[in-house]
Amino acid sequence: MRLVADALDNQLEDVNGARAGRVDGIVLELRDGRPPRVAYIEVSPITLLSRFSMRLAQWFARIDRRFGEGRGVPFRIPWTRVARDGPTMKIDLNVEHTPIQAFEDWLRVKLVEHIPGGGSK
Amino acid sequence: MKKVFEIALGIVTSVGGFLEIGSIATAAQAGADFGFQLAWSIALGTICIGFLVEMSGRFSAVSKHTIPDAMRERFGVRFYVVPLVVMLGVSLLTLGAEIGGVAAAVKLATGIALPVWVLPAAIVAWLILWKATFGFIENGISLLGLVTVSFAVVAYKLHPSYASLGHGMLPTLPHEKASHYWFVAVSVLGASVSPYLYYFYSSGAIEEKWDRSYVIVNRAVAAIGMGFGGFLSVAVLVCGATIFHPRGIEVQHYEQLPGLLTPVLGSAGFWLFVASLGIACIGATVEISLSLAYLVAQGFGWKWGEDLPPHEDARFSLTYTVIVFSAALMPLVGIDPLKLTNVAMALTSASLPIGVFPFLILMNDKTYLQENTNGWLGNGVVMIISVMAAVLAIVSIPLEIIGGS
Repeated sequence: MRLVADALDNQLEDVNGARAGRVDGIVLELRDGRPPRVAYIEVSPITLLSRFSMRLAQWFARIDRRFGEGRGVPFRIPWTRVARDGPTMKIDLNVEHTPIQAFEDWLRVKLVEHIPGGGSK
Repeated sequence: MKKVFEIALGIVTSVGGFLEIGSIATAAQAGADFGFQLAWSIALGTICIGFLVEMSGRFSAVSKHTIPDAMRERFGVRFYVVPLVVMLGVSLLTLGAEIGGVAAAVKLATGIALPVWVLPAAIVAWLILWKATFGFIENGISLLGLVTVSFAVVAYKLHPSYASLGHGMLPTLPHEKASHYWFVAVSVLGASVSPYLYYFYSSGAIEEKWDRSYVIVNRAVAAIGMGFGGFLSVAVLVCGATIFHPRGIEVQHYEQLPGLLTPVLGSAGFWLFVASLGIACIGATVEISLSLAYLVAQGFGWKWGEDLPPHEDARFSLTYTVIVFSAALMPLVGIDPLKLTNVAMALTSASLPIGVFPFLILMNDKTYLQENTNGWLGNGVVMIISVMAAVLAIVSIPLEIIGGS
């Protein structure tokens, strides 16, 4: 697999087939005397912003940290829980209640559920 | 039989959804200012959008990907932000013009000032987005848009010179007002080849779960639907060329536009124009807002879908909410919808290659399309027309601004 061409920026789907963001970054583990190994993928606006500007990413991380424990750092998924399905990457976890969905959940609870008609079509 | 029905419905909705304030206003201006001489720009624009719509449907049917989805995957996020930002900027202007068009239609009907109707127009569009399914938007609103066929009826009754119209289909150099001629030409091209149309079509194919078996349906709908849509634009130009041009009337205000139909249809023509403008613009408002929300949601991998209740795709739903109300600010603060239309259409032309070139690269990528990649004809036609439109726009926009000719 060519990591940048075949994995970076590709769509993620969770164990239930729900869209779960994109592969915003890839974390390699460097090992003495052996080739590097893919350890994690990162799914986070912090990682995404760091590809444009580290300063911007650090600023976003500082703000994100205020939202609670575990926030302010990129969300990592072990590579062992990622499988390739065509261009889509399948992750072996439920995206609900993970930091990937945090903003979506916050918007739903704080805003969308208060607007009439948001619960059905 | 099901496929035949889908082709028929697709064609009818493509025709009904083709005209909006951009194509009506620019075709009317082209006819008023230059008679039949700029008919070629509608023909070129229609050919280009026909190819692009066919490609976007084929891309999604075969690859099961939308264009933004594949664009981020193939070129990475650092590239993706360029078409994203350009599309958002240019299409927001177009969206502002469309919302202004809805408000202008109600203003014509009621006589009450345009800004009063901007917020209600935005709220109606938002309610459709919030509550309607994709099928309702694609079929329901576009079917109502068939009222725009009234332009073709009037154009026929005006007995235009078909020889002159045929002559106008071939590009010719301007006899006078050269910079204005090219500016109107690129505005017409921008109105016909609006990128939101093929982005919307590509996402629609995924919403409606198209597969490879739709490649033929898609080809028929794109060719015939866009062809007839272009025919309606030509009808508007014919009305402008036959009614406004001989009298030396220049289209400066949208209040003049009902004059395209009233000389033949009388007061019925006025109301048909109001209905055409209102329906066409509300349809375009909904489609552009959805297209931009698709562009953002797909680029970032969020959950999206117009058939999902908003609480299931909160980010997507709030994206189109923010988009529709932000665009409404432009006509709300008094920016004239017609002037906004001209600027938006010319900038659309200038920015065409930014969205079209990466799309053409995707259309030639066997990873996505296997044996269904583009042929030389589609690549060539789309590339030549979009480069030509961009070059003409970049040259003519400054000339139009400084008033040189």
